[in-house]
Amino acid sequence: MTLPAEILAGARAPAMDRRGFLTLGAKGLVVAFAMPLVGRSAVVHAQAATPPTTQQLANAYVQVGTDGSITLWFGGSEMGQGAMSGLAQILAEELMVDWNQVTVKQAGVDPIVSYLTGGSSAVSRRYGTLRNAAAAARELLIAAAMTKTGDANRDSYAAKSATVMYTNPVSHLVTTWPYSALATLAASQTVPADLRLTDPGKFRLIGQPVPRVDIPSKVDGSAKYGIDTWLPNMVFAAIKHCPVIGGTLASTPSKPSGAVAVVPCKASDTRGAVTAGSVNAVAVVASNTWLAMRLANNLSVSWKLPASTAGVDSAAILAQAQGLMAGGQALCAEPAPPTGTTPASYATQLEPAVKAALGTPTIDATYTLPYLAHATMEVVSCTVNIVFSTAGVAQSCEIWAPTQAAAWVQQTAAGLTGVAPTQITVHTTFLGGGLGRKIEQDYVSQAVQVAMAVKKPVKLTWRREEDFAHDQYRPFALVNVKATLASGRIAAWSYRNVSQAILGQRGWLPPGAVDSQATEGSTGLPYNRGTHIVEWVPLPAGIPVGFWRSVGSSINAFAVESMIDELARAAGADPFQFRYDNMTDDRARAVLWAADILSSSWRNSLPAGHAWGVAIAESFGTWVAQVVDISQPSAGSMKVNRIACVVDCGTVINPDSVQAQMQGGIVHAMNAALWGQMTFTAGKAAQLNFNNYRMMRINDMPQITVQIMQSTNPPSGIGEPGVPPLAPALANAYARLTGTRVRTLPFFAGAGSGSDD
Amino acid sequence: MYSLNVNGVSHSVNVDGSTPLLWVLRDVLGLTGTKYGCGIEVCGACTVLVNGQPEKSCDMDTSEAAGKTIVTIEGLSANRSHPAQQAWIAHQVPQCGYCQSGMIMACAGAMQAGHHGNEILSEMNNICVCGTYARIKDAVQGL
Ligand code: FES
Ligand code: FES
Repeated sequence: MTLPAEILAGARAPAMDRRGFLTLGAKGLVVAFAMPLVGRSAVVHAQAATPPTTQQLANAYVQVGTDGSITLWFGGSEMGQGAMSGLAQILAEELMVDWNQVTVKQAGVDPIVSYLTGGSSAVSRRYGTLRNAAAAARELLIAAAMTKTGDANRDSYAAKSATVMYTNPVSHLVTTWPYSALATLAASQTVPADLRLTDPGKFRLIGQPVPRVDIPSKVDGSAKYGIDTWLPNMVFAAIKHCPVIGGTLASTPSKPSGAVAVVPCKASDTRGAVTAGSVNAVAVVASNTWLAMRLANNLSVSWKLPASTAGVDSAAILAQAQGLMAGGQALCAEPAPPTGTTPASYATQLEPAVKAALGTPTIDATYTLPYLAHATMEVVSCTVNIVFSTAGVAQSCEIWAPTQAAAWVQQTAAGLTGVAPTQITVHTTFLGGGLGRKIEQDYVSQAVQVAMAVKKPVKLTWRREEDFAHDQYRPFALVNVKATLASGRIAAWSYRNVSQAILGQRGWLPPGAVDSQATEGSTGLPYNRGTHIVEWVPLPAGIPVGFWRSVGSSINAFAVESMIDELARAAGADPFQFRYDNMTDDRARAVLWAADILSSSWRNSLPAGHAWGVAIAESFGTWVAQVVDISQPSAGSMKVNRIACVVDCGTVINPDSVQAQMQGGIVHAMNAALWGQMTFTAGKAAQLNFNNYRMMRINDMPQITVQIMQSTNPPSGIGEPGVPPLAPALANAYARLTGTRVRTLPFFAGAGSGSDD
Repeated sequence: MYSLNVNGVSHSVNVDGSTPLLWVLRDVLGLTGTKYGCGIEVCGACTVLVNGQPEKSCDMDTSEAAGKTIVTIEGLSANRSHPAQQAWIAHQVPQCGYCQSGMIMACAGAMQAGHHGNEILSEMNNICVCGTYARIKDAVQGL
């Protein structure tokens, strides 16, 4: 996703005070580094100087201890993407320390270090900032050494393995100091203008497949996820939502035997604000999680159902979308509406010219994509401990959550408890998968509400069935594309996406504006499309929608790259050649070319019964091309045998993490393309667990080869971009294999668990 | 009151006999390495060894587990020295890591039954939403 800067900045910038530094218990040099929102120049802040202002977007704490420790305070969320390690590599590179000398620690909510983990930005957006911060720390340590020698000539100094070395220019005698011996003195030095950033050609660690710091704890059970939080005297809670989306509690059920309490829970929005008048769930509290879950599941509750469920019913939503596709007012996303026009008026203005240019379209195709659940391996869970005064007033609050948005967790708790944010500590645990689900505050809000009610430490864990039924889903979308060819070139292109507004549902979208989440991946395409228009029609359905790995690109890449393939076929052209012929973007062309070469060894000699397909897409600044080899062992099935994947993500921090994210993105996309689908009947979700929401198993796994483009561009995202091209590549291969063009996902609806047992 | 032998230590637990072993391990004994994923025997995140056999602990009653030898990820080795754990580190398998306790216990069970390499893979049917399967395939080749 690409979020407004204000949101990515962490939403709320609490007043910056010295406490933010002191709470870290720092001894020695702390460099809190802030990057102004505008402008190139860096503001570096040593412990003794003036704190940066709240207007500054800040990203990193680097701490050099007097005890020899080198610490990176990590303000994001580690959900498997390797962010902790990627940032530590950047730090170690510029601070001139060895890989095994760095420790990464999870920071609490802090105006400097905390950031929202989304948009594949965890490492890429912090690259420049952290390099500067680490280099500043190094230069401060060298400045400290200068005060010891009295020689201010920087060329007499070098730094390596957490040691500053000074060579006397006259005697050539060498003196060394470990960083720990300079740390205190360094804190009172001034950062020089020239940070002497390392020449990328001489990087020791950036670009190397160094082992990830979080992996050892993930093979022995010691890694602590949200669901693993354990406090003395804690009670355990499970949730039961109204099974019908939009329903509310009619009357509070009495406490079942064996339960500690039953607590009605109000609904909340993405930023944790309580939705007025909406008690949509009850929590059951018990002495262990299983008991709480069982009691919650068996609890009979009387709900007040919404007057109509048409907005939360798959069949009704499809019909509504079809109506809007034919006659709805579209908003123009591309070309950009000039001043004086609105997206709506500009769409109306442009449509006749595009229609005329299309004439009788060569292809007129409508693609349908389903709602998808996140189904993170770890269900949502949150633990809360509130300290009350003797009068029963909440005084302070501590929260453990697998969250992608720690600052919003703090805000959620402040709103519900009345406790000042400075008295609310948020511990971001490891996330057992995030995928965009754990930006939301619903589960955090519920846990805080329960802790307020029972006045005991409480851990809330959702049953998997609740996790599926009350997600904030990848939107359903209907996309119509019309295109006309002239001499093998695209002469006209009309693209219309009908889907719900993710930002709009959160109140983050001005009226009449285009939701960037809905259109990403459909604008700025690498193809010359002649006379063209890209439109979006908002679908006013009531299914809660949210950010799902790669967001709008997961939808639009399927429509765009399927259509490009359909056009290639209509032109009688090779799918690669057709793309080259219509392509205007050199970076895309290079990636496609590499994928062409990488796959050519097998692509042109596939055994009978196999076929290949290709697709390419950009998301979060990263280009990915994938070529798949599929076969059909029996009717109604598909075997994916092999995938060649080429990625250009700019400067590579850790190639092993890039490879892992491509492998993982492909699996995530295969789950979705082959089987993934949430359906709703009269407001009730039909798929409630993995037994009817199939996920790949190891025997479904194709052989994947990942190749990374060498690049000196700034780093771009890797967590999400592996997803978008896969579904269209499969559909393109399937059309080649069977002659049938699949325009509706998933390929195989209604799949079971895929388990043998 | 049931007596459970977990990782070589005997515990008396005071729970209803129908409580799944998973939740006794996690909420009573504090052994949180074993994970809850689905609760219906489909995902394998809760896999532990019971008398040497991989079992899904979300669907094993405490009364049934009583008296048997139970090994969880915490008890597989000291210092991550089990060959499967070593292979997982060498191949940098985990992403979020949440499924990996179950994966490693399934692998360890297959190894204990005398399987090697691809034979181990055919015994591993757990779900990994992060999609670490390619690396698991590589990791088991030397086992
Ligand atoms: S939690 Fe036991 S198999 Fe999923
Ligand atoms: S590593 Fe995340 S689910 Fe397997």
